[in-house]
Amino acid sequence: MQYMILIYEPEDAYAGEAGQAALADIVAKHMALAGELRAKGIQKDGAGLQGSETATTVVTQNGQQTIHDGPFAETREHLGGYYLIDVPDLDEALAIARRVPVTDGGKVEVRPLIVH
Amino acid sequence: MRRFGQAISAARPRVVAALAARLRDLDLAEDAFAEACTSALVAWPNQAPRDPAAWLWRAALRRAIDAKRRAAVRERAVLDTPEPEPTPEEALMAAHQPIPDERLKLIFVCCHPALAPDSRVALTLKVVCGLSTQRLARAFFVGEPAMLQRITRAKAKIAGAGVPFEVPARDAWPERLEAVLTTLEIAYAQAYEDAALAGETAGFAVEVLRLSGLLAELVPDEPEVLGLAALVRFAEARRPARLGDLGAMVPPDRQDIGLWRRDLIAEGATLLDRAAALGRSGPRQILATIHATHCARAETGGATDWPTIAALYDILAQLRPHAAIAINRAVAIGEAEGAAAGLAELAKIQGMETWLPYQAAFAALSAKAGRRADARAAYDAALALGPAPAERLYLEARRRSLTTT
Repeated sequence: MQYMILIYEPEDAYAGEAGQAALADIVAKHMALAGELRAKGIQKDGAGLQGSETATTVVTQNGQQTIHDGPFAETREHLGGYYLIDVPDLDEALAIARRVPVTDGGKVEVRPLIVH
Repeated sequence: MRRFGQAISAARPRVVAALAARLRDLDLAEDAFAEACTSALVAWPNQAPRDPAAWLWRAALRRAIDAKRRAAVRERAVLDTPEPEPTPEEALMAAHQPIPDERLKLIFVCCHPALAPDSRVALTLKVVCGLSTQRLARAFFVGEPAMLQRITRAKAKIAGAGVPFEVPARDAWPERLEAVLTTLEIAYAQAYEDAALAGETAGFAVEVLRLSGLLAELVPDEPEVLGLAALVRFAEARRPARLGDLGAMVPPDRQDIGLWRRDLIAEGATLLDRAAALGRSGPRQILATIHATHCARAETGGATDWPTIAALYDILAQLRPHAAIAINRAVAIGEAEGAAAGLAELAKIQGMETWLPYQAAFAALSAKAGRRADARAAYDAALALGPAPAERLYLEARRRSLTTT
């Protein structure tokens, strides 16, 4: 099954000088994990996302579409990146999700893809 | 079906688990089992067969395979080339293998941490024990549509998210087993609460008794599993004595030991000994030991050994820093060392003033300390917090005893 691993982290997690150092550390860990998952043929895709200040949302309501500045949900956590993996079941997906590096307060959501 | 109820409920976990493992579909497994039970009514006119589980497994598997084949045919919509029906001989041949024991896998699936705790409890009691949605709704004080939705959502998540039908890997074992034990604990807490009242929900505790025993049989080398099974047995042993003649709750130290079930106390003691022999203590074993200490009155015939119970609560409070345990600990200290010591411990618990167990404990300790005005006020506060009928009667009687002298 294919699973999307969505990484949510506090918006200000990597602010300031200390934040930048933490970011460098987290990115290095992502590279290591992604490298290993790709080598095993588990990872299909993945990327980090730019900050939610770069997000734009298209809202469809009553047949009308409008463009909005910002992410769809204004929360303290924002979607920071994702992995797309292919593993046999949820237990294995969760085992990988646990290994995804996040800053304190970070959350990792695991969602199966719709299979056609 | 009532006539064979015993045989059918005993067979259910094994048969439904084997069906679910084979079919990878909980709904289909449950439906096939239900159909097999219906045909058992016709096929077992006077008595159940020698091996009811094997009979139900064969009948249910045959039906499930038929249902799957029909569904597959519908899916392909090839109306002019129907799948050949299996001959009865073929179906029997396919089914004549022994029932694989997949019960542990089924329990792990129903108690998967990817499901919300309430959903795990509902799903386990529904699928493993066969409790009806209606009965579960009553036991958990929700409407039947809400309970149905809880169960349907849980099944949809299992199927949709790819929860595997496997016993978890060794490294995931502690977390997964913890989820199973928590599920059983929630189920039993519910059963303990409501089954003090006889009637509709009284049989519910029997299912948790059976389920905890089943888990202890399937996982005999995990001390906390044995501890939980022991705990449920000690608590259930006292059930016949929990209500007085007028329906009021009777606390363990005042229960008529003649009404206690010695068979369950003996089973609990054996389980707890086996757990202790494994040499890894844990909160359920401590709690079971507290229950065992209450039950020891059955042998000694004397008073409750409160100093031992207080010492056990000291350990338990370290392992589980919950308000309910802190309150019980204060009550035990009050019995062991005097009301003043108990009140001092209770005073350390903050922010629980609107919780019934807190007010009930404060009332009892105040009364014991001779602080009658405090006790009366606390009993009034407790009664205003909506106790269950049996506890209401008990609290009202305690309240009255403070006014008459």
